[in-house]
Amino acid sequence: MPIVSIQPTGEVIHLEPGETVLSGLYKAGFAYTVGCKRGGCAICKVDCLEGEFGYSHPIADSVISEEERADGTCLSCRAVPEGDITIQLRGEDVRLVNPFLAQINARARDRARAYAESRSGTATSKEN
Amino acid sequence: MAVMRMGYVHARVTDLAEAKHHYANTLGLYETLSTEGKVFYKGWDEWDHHSVVLEEGGVGVVKYGFKVEYSEDIDIIEKKARDFGLTVERMSKGENPEIGDGIRFTAPSEHVFEVYHEATQIGTEVGTHNPEAFPRHLVGVGVPGLDHSLILAEDVRTMENMFRAVFDFFPTERVQTDLNDDDAHYIATWMTSNNQIHQIAVLEGPQGKLHHFAFKLGDWNEIGRAGDLFAMDDVPIDIGPTRHGITRGQTIYFFDPAGNRNEVFAGGYLAYRDRPINKWTPDQIAKGIFYHAREMNERFTTVST
Repeated sequence: MPIVSIQPTGEVIHLEPGETVLSGLYKAGFAYTVGCKRGGCAICKVDCLEGEFGYSHPIADSVISEEERADGTCLSCRAVPEGDITIQLRGEDVRLVNPFLAQINARARDRARAYAESRSGTATSKEN
Repeated sequence: MAVMRMGYVHARVTDLAEAKHHYANTLGLYETLSTEGKVFYKGWDEWDHHSVVLEEGGVGVVKYGFKVEYSEDIDIIEKKARDFGLTVERMSKGENPEIGDGIRFTAPSEHVFEVYHEATQIGTEVGTHNPEAFPRHLVGVGVPGLDHSLILAEDVRTMENMFRAVFDFFPTERVQTDLNDDDAHYIATWMTSNNQIHQIAVLEGPQGKLHHFAFKLGDWNEIGRAGDLFAMDDVPIDIGPTRHGITRGQTIYFFDPAGNRNEVFAGGYLAYRDRPINKWTPDQIAKGIFYHAREMNERFTTVST
């Protein structure tokens, strides 16, 4: 259950496994500048400050350059986190447009955290 | 001499399987040929072999083909293109499957245009012998055919001059900074060779880019129904249904699975060579593009492939 943290504003968003950064943020009620949502227009690029991600589809060289593939550039509509990641938007902040979705996401995040803690608790007790 | 229409658009897609699902099952184009890494389509009311070519790898537009009425038109256009200062090359029959001999040139905007006269005729899906009004089992939107394309170019005026000089196109509408053409900077132009309100439009922007290519529909009801189908198929909508002030056409902009912008376009008034050009000033461009909202969305000028 990857967590996306957004700097510098501090939002923490829970993603389903396999979900793209863009999809996760919109499903959590947030909006930012996006275009085609299909990897073609390059408008939704953000910077990945920490963590790993992969791309769910082939990305055209005209959209992501060789250099950008190594410098943390994250085409958010196609980027699927491989664990927790920290991102920073370029020239804007996310806007909360649907607080109800944000509440649902916060609860899902809490449940996922509690589940993970209970699992690690079980593992610890077994070791003991 | 006469260019009859934009005969085909050849575009790139990142994933051919996903693209085929969109163009065949959502838009309802008919697949006429599939080769290694390419697929060819026509709409149900088109008779030539194909109007859309998709090639796997990348995004954006590879080239456009314009069909001329007579084979001699190819030579005439070749001469006019050279006179305009363009480098023209000959293309032979079969370089594009089912398309005859022709010419190819790269425009000042860096877009590639081909001109041809012959295409293998397949026929419309209703035929010509006491035809029905439409095919009974259309798939998805069931677009009848390709309509037009909007491309981006750094120098719109030069592109208008080129289409005038080489294709004998005339502008129907323009966005310009001054109503006096001599003083104006051209921001966008809509051009055609016949009664179709536009076959090609050019908007100021980065060289070689595709803004969208459009499929024709009949009326508002068909536009609305297309929007419903886009919701069912999770097609990203850019804007619409709405109306363009420019052309008066009814529209939805949406994206294919590679992020290329498509449009379904209905209506638009008849173009004539002697009809005065509609001129839009930059302060009203938002109304010209999106007549109802009268606000530019943030994607219109920034999102292209």
